[in-house]
Amino acid sequence: MSEVQQSDGGQEKGKHKKIRAKKSSTHIDMTPMVDLAFLLLTFFILTTTFSKPKTMDITMPVKDKVEDDQRTKVKASQTVSILLTENDRIIWYIGMDDPAQPPQTNIADFSQSGPQSIRTMLLDKNKIVLEKVKMVEDSVKRGLIPDKEDEIKRHKAAVKGDKAGVIVLIKPDEKSKYKNLVDILDEMLICNVGRYAIVDLSESERELIKNTK
Amino acid sequence: MPKIKVPKKSPSLDMTPMVDLAFLLVTFFMLTTKFRPDEPVIVDQPSSISEIPLPEKGVILLTVDGKGRVFFNVEGQQTRMDILDRLASRFSLMFDEKEKKRFSVLSSVGMPSNMLKEYLGADEAKRRTMNDATPGIPSDSTNNELTFWINAARTVAPRHSIAIKGDQDADIPTIKRVISTLQDNKANRFALITNLEGASDAAAAPAKK
Repeated sequence: MSEVQQSDGGQEKGKHKKIRAKKSSTHIDMTPMVDLAFLLLTFFILTTTFSKPKTMDITMPVKDKVEDDQRTKVKASQTVSILLTENDRIIWYIGMDDPAQPPQTNIADFSQSGPQSIRTMLLDKNKIVLEKVKMVEDSVKRGLIPDKEDEIKRHKAAVKGDKAGVIVLIKPDEKSKYKNLVDILDEMLICNVGRYAIVDLSESERELIKNTK
Repeated sequence: MPKIKVPKKSPSLDMTPMVDLAFLLVTFFMLTTKFRPDEPVIVDQPSSISEIPLPEKGVILLTVDGKGRVFFNVEGQQTRMDILDRLASRFSLMFDEKEKKRFSVLSSVGMPSNMLKEYLGADEAKRRTMNDATPGIPSDSTNNELTFWINAARTVAPRHSIAIKGDQDADIPTIKRVISTLQDNKANRFALITNLEGASDAAAAPAKK
């Protein structure tokens, strides 16, 4: 106390002057707060991932037994069977799987282009639908179809279900990987194949895989 | 000659706008960040060009890891508790309140029914070792427990969509078993979770214009 009074006395020379409250600066040192803010900022920036997982919709048929006469009949020449097997290999053939008359098999791979690319094959086989999809896109551009996402989707779905298009039967065997299945489903999307199904292998097709080296 | 004096400038500059921005960003990131719950398995999903996002809510998630183990996950504490109740009566197990509570806050669970009770009673470290050793939810035709899980989840949450999150190396027989179990439960529409194909891949794909 005495010290304070002493210093007061030292500052004020006259006794008449009022005792004034000390003017303290309004500035506070904000450096630590800002440091912390930046620390948090860096932490959140580094830990945030914005990529949301994407999905691929699949519809499987109802498992109930279907009577033979109720089955949809399709032309054998329109169906492509794609057999997936180990080491990312693809074997495909057109037509029926007839044990007595083994179909002509072809080897393909998951490359995006080239002579053995499954995509080239599918695009070639699915030309009719692809042209129609292109037509839909053209009419969107010319304003014949409203440029709305669901509207375009509806038209494309209608076109994709075209009876003239290729029908793909995907048959993964036990040695293939999930990745192969997703890749081939992806090719269906890319090549605008609307009619495809995941089917089990038959015995004769196992033989086909064995014999095709 | 008088020297030219450089005017002394104060070295401190006004940092207020910068700090304001920093706090704005901090708030933004804090509010948008959602911490991922501790997943028992790490799954490396295959990529595709599909751009349909996974719904944020209401997903029954079946995870298949590289070794072919199946895990089950669904969000919502109440939903999980109801599912556990149904499973308890199905497997004739008894869970106390603590175990139910524990189950409701966990993420994916991949335990055969005989290990479920022990798993829920264990502490975190033990759970981790159990997760490494678990064979997953059995889905073979002889002992298909997965169908009970799916059945319970479908009954409790009929409007939830179903998603399969498979590892690239998951084997096809397991995937097929999971799919056929879903079909058995009349769940014929489901989604496969994939990553979006990298920009370089998409650019190299000339097919889709």
